[in-house]
Amino acid sequence: MEEVVLAIAGSGGDGVITAGDFITKSAARKGLHAFMLKSYGPQIRGGESSARIRVSARPVYSQGDFVDVLAVFSWKDFNRFIDEIELREGAVALYDASDPTPLEAVPIPKEKNVRLIPVPFKKLASEELKVPLAKNMVLLGVLAELLNLPADALKDAVMQKFGKKRPEAAEINIKAIDLGSAWVRENLPEGIPYRLQAEGGEPKLVMTGNDALAFGAIKAGINFYAGYPITPASPILEFLARELPRFGGAVIQTEDELAAVTMAVGASWAGARAMTASSGPGISLKQEGIGLAAMAEIPLVVVNVQRAGPSTGIPSKTEQADLFQAIGGTHGDSPRVVLAPADVEDNFQVAVEAFYLAEKYQLPVYILSDQFVGERSETVDEAVLFAREREIKRKLPAPEELGEDYARYKLTEDGVSPMALPGMKGGQHYISGLEHNEKGWPTSSGTLHQVMSEKRAKKLPLIAEESGFVRVYGDEDAKFAVLAWGSSKGAVREAVEAARKKGLKVKAIVPQLIFPLPEKALDAALKGVERALVVELSFSAQFYRFLRAFYDGLPKATYSYARAGGNPLQVQEVLKAIEAHYGEKVEA
Amino acid sequence: MEKVKLTAKDYKTKIPIVWCPGCGDFGVLAAIHQAVADLAIPPEKLGVVSGIGCSSRIAGYINAYGFNSIHGRPLPIATGAKVANPELTMLVAGGDGDGYSIGMGHFVHAIRRNPDLTYIVMDNRIYGLTKGQVSPTTPEGDVTKTTPSGNPERPLNPLALALELGATYIAQGFSGNVKHLKELIKKGIEHKGFSLINVLSPCVTFRGKQEYDYVRQHGVYLDELGDYDPSDWNKAHEATQWRDKLPIGVIYHVHGRKTLGDEIAEVQAKARAKKVYKDVRELIDTFR
Repeated sequence: MEEVVLAIAGSGGDGVITAGDFITKSAARKGLHAFMLKSYGPQIRGGESSARIRVSARPVYSQGDFVDVLAVFSWKDFNRFIDEIELREGAVALYDASDPTPLEAVPIPKEKNVRLIPVPFKKLASEELKVPLAKNMVLLGVLAELLNLPADALKDAVMQKFGKKRPEAAEINIKAIDLGSAWVRENLPEGIPYRLQAEGGEPKLVMTGNDALAFGAIKAGINFYAGYPITPASPILEFLARELPRFGGAVIQTEDELAAVTMAVGASWAGARAMTASSGPGISLKQEGIGLAAMAEIPLVVVNVQRAGPSTGIPSKTEQADLFQAIGGTHGDSPRVVLAPADVEDNFQVAVEAFYLAEKYQLPVYILSDQFVGERSETVDEAVLFAREREIKRKLPAPEELGEDYARYKLTEDGVSPMALPGMKGGQHYISGLEHNEKGWPTSSGTLHQVMSEKRAKKLPLIAEESGFVRVYGDEDAKFAVLAWGSSKGAVREAVEAARKKGLKVKAIVPQLIFPLPEKALDAALKGVERALVVELSFSAQFYRFLRAFYDGLPKATYSYARAGGNPLQVQEVLKAIEAHYGEKVEA
Repeated sequence: MEKVKLTAKDYKTKIPIVWCPGCGDFGVLAAIHQAVADLAIPPEKLGVVSGIGCSSRIAGYINAYGFNSIHGRPLPIATGAKVANPELTMLVAGGDGDGYSIGMGHFVHAIRRNPDLTYIVMDNRIYGLTKGQVSPTTPEGDVTKTTPSGNPERPLNPLALALELGATYIAQGFSGNVKHLKELIKKGIEHKGFSLINVLSPCVTFRGKQEYDYVRQHGVYLDELGDYDPSDWNKAHEATQWRDKLPIGVIYHVHGRKTLGDEIAEVQAKARAKKVYKDVRELIDTFR
């Protein structure tokens, strides 16, 4: 097997996520590719949780539709994820031997022909090690042996986590892994069909999308971050709270979202590179601050790690339905930029791009991430992170522009006016959320409002022509294209590959810049395309409708595949949609 | 460095003033012009952040980096700016509606956080810009456009609240006494940390000229009392609870509390004591 998809489900305290983290880390150390998706119930502690890990010799872009190997501490826990974990026909399910569920009541359809293997995870941990909590490490040992996961790298990862601080814990964990492996050698010497045969490459990094985004912001030279805790965006606040002070920056956890966004606006006004992050409900609250940044032309980066909405929605689950809010939120004609990261490493690059555009064009820039691309872990190539360099710079006034005649909102060719920062002698001026003239003085003149609206909007076509914001995968000369954005990319890219294997000529087009749309780059990507399919996780098909409304270049035969979020997109459903709209009869 | 003599005139701007004749805010503006001139704060090092309301227009009338922001948010904006550039002298200005109603959450937390800002609230006990609605400091029973049968709600006591929250400089001034107010503002600017100056600043249009008389009749100048000690919390508390008298002057003033800037510097030092990165790329090791 070149790759394997495994899932572990358990209750809080079972160490499911820890086990998943170790598998992902060890794969990275061996230079394999890994993708780990965590899933939680609503409980804060003690609730059910699952980790789904895909390990492969090739790059992977999605969680994998079907699980090859399942490991559960109890069938009761598994029941809660029945919606999310679909087993492959002929999969293997390892379950704790002490589970009281009678075999006929195991919640797996008979026709799946799943091989059920009882394993004494709990018994080995409590009897042999006298540490019942180590059952997750026993499980890890079992999986490592059965799946041929790199055992040495696994132990290295354990040592890295516990070795220095808690050597006794490290020792127990390693013993538990050995115990699990030994059990397999003794009791399942014939193994299972899902044995990973993969040569590794150069060691890789492991990060979550949220961490990658925060790291990218530090790379971009962020000085100031203000945020309010919210699922699933809090890890950005936590990462920056830990790391940014080491680079001389400041992080403030504010009293509310309004303070978070306006503090960032204030810091940017005073010259800092500033960012705030939240998720849907928090972004709703931030709207007034975003509008202020647009009106006063203050660079600002706003991250929305989308979750299922509206209102409180499903905080721990993904969706792509805040697109209209990002494009049209805040009152008035308020220019903004919307960027969307499509996978974990993309979060890093998009953070850099966001600061680049915000500082260059002096306006608010959204990063529209989501729970799926924010919270999952992926292996990442170090070189990829730093592949694209940007010179991040704000236009400041030349000395001769300062003084009595300095005009903060001077009308210029590109709509960008030199910004005097507080502290610059002779640059004193007044700005506001009020409409204003070139000097910033308030006005209620409709004529001036037209002039200044034009000035602010002038930047957008220039931004749309910035390079490098559209990616194309698949057959360049395909007449059928799938358009997707953000975290849909993974499943779409793999579905396109699967369709091509079936003989279809297909390509995927994924813009990283969503607003303003990079029309020329899209035109080029869509050249020769006769039919298109827009794929997204939004029940009301926001991306499809947005493209229809804002973009003239779509083929007439453009279809929508859209559904509510919650569960991430699967490759199979996208593939089916491709086949359904391809236009020619597709052989089954 | 050679000290340039600055006068109040150096801090005026050419932006036309929108206030009604007789507005108390003229007195506040004059007091600020004089205070910053007395302290010789270079205009380019002065930031003035205001919210929304008649009084918030003040940010345009001071030769400084002025930011007339959005309703209720001048405190977080000024906090962000001060953290970004600690060398700035930051004045925050707004009205009672801006600070004590829509911005109350930030008022509470700014005091808790203690940024080095001087917050001047022009308290006219009414919503003026929107033409005469009840405000959080309108006295109980007063008839306004939105309380035609008299205000049924009790007014807020910002001084007592600030004291309870741990503010270390709390003053109340009167826009009809510019000379006195100027001194309160100067002390506030010189105070290290958050300072609150609540200014009784009458709205002659919606509350009438008698507001001036009211303050003159009920105002008690604390420094004239002889035995008033602004470092005595209990005394200060008592003064904030007066019923028919309005305390005017420095109500509470103590030194030594760490500012937000101090705290951030400490956080940075502690974080660096654990680990220092020479280059951003070194952060990569966190992900191995």
